[in-house]
Amino acid sequence: MEHTDESIGLRKLVLYRDVVLTEAGEAPARPAWRASVAAVIRNPWVASGPSTDLSLEQARIAPVLAKLLTDRLIASLGGADEIESFGKAAIVGTAGEIEHAGALIHTPYFGNLVREFLQGESIICFADTRAEAGESLIIPLWHKTHAATRSHYQTISARVSDGPRADELVVIAAASTGPRPHPRIGDRMTDPVVTTETLEVVPS
Amino acid sequence: MSVRRIVTVVEEIHAEGGRELDRPARIAVVAAVIENPWAGQGFVEDLNPGIDAHASDLGALLAPAVLDALEAPAEAYGKAAIVGLDGEIEHGSALIHTLKFGDHFRKAANAATLLPAVEKRGPTGVVFDIPLKHITDATIRSHHQSFEVRISDAPHPNEIVVALAAAAQGRPQQRLAPLSTEQ
Repeated sequence: MEHTDESIGLRKLVLYRDVVLTEAGEAPARPAWRASVAAVIRNPWVASGPSTDLSLEQARIAPVLAKLLTDRLIASLGGADEIESFGKAAIVGTAGEIEHAGALIHTPYFGNLVREFLQGESIICFADTRAEAGESLIIPLWHKTHAATRSHYQTISARVSDGPRADELVVIAAASTGPRPHPRIGDRMTDPVVTTETLEVVPS
Repeated sequence: MSVRRIVTVVEEIHAEGGRELDRPARIAVVAAVIENPWAGQGFVEDLNPGIDAHASDLGALLAPAVLDALEAPAEAYGKAAIVGLDGEIEHGSALIHTLKFGDHFRKAANAATLLPAVEKRGPTGVVFDIPLKHITDATIRSHHQSFEVRISDAPHPNEIVVALAAAAQGRPQQRLAPLSTEQ
């Protein structure tokens, strides 16, 4: 079997994890652990042009990344059972196309496997950009089985200090074990009906 | 001690200079975002009561955490104090430049040398580099390295980020001649 590092051109992995112990001076009822894992890999499509078929490399590389990133996420957050919300992201270096980022995160070869490994059902929300090394990317997370669960709408920022280089891609999976620190903006079940007719003051 | 957030960052380098490493190189950092114990008190002449109240607790919190995150014996280490804009760098130095803080890490890592440090004041989200040196012999050149960290929403103006860093090896692909060859 070909060595994973070489097969996907892996240069480094960066794990970021945090927990909020106090927010606005008070401890959260359920302190949530959040984590992101970023893989810096060689962009397999650099200088290939927009007519290039991305499907072969995407089917080869994306499943390897899905396994690698979710293994690290699960280990750092105490198990797939603990994970409640998830998200994904990619940063493409300046010699690549944003389509290259999409090829690695927006197809079943990545998304379906990440969902399966993290035991989720929702569509996975995402962010992507093309940037210089060291750019911070804000990754949205939402609930892995009930995406509209408002308490779990949150973000985590990910950054690799020396990546991506122009010919590299950073692919990221992220997750949280719980909601925002002090969620209190209701939910779809508790919302009143809001339309232009129910509001006393309608923005114009 | 009021800790707002604890952040862990682990880098695992698989290739450097275009060559794969024999085994991945690991570096870990654990940072505590705390309220500056001297915030809002004007110029405090005697920092010792605050040091006594917090420095040992911080060392005890961070030392085992960074070694857990590294998942390997530490060969190099370093520390950081990043002070929010309303504080003095002296406040950060007070918390980390004392045996009460550093000895927790030295004991846990079986280390002997002084911990190299970065002390800096900056805005929320400031980037800082933690210097690391060998844990028993600070002249071992292969282990001189540094690690870049950024926490997106810390330190607030009234906060201090206190961090420890540990590396399981020297620089990836290190190949400089040792200091002794030049003496």
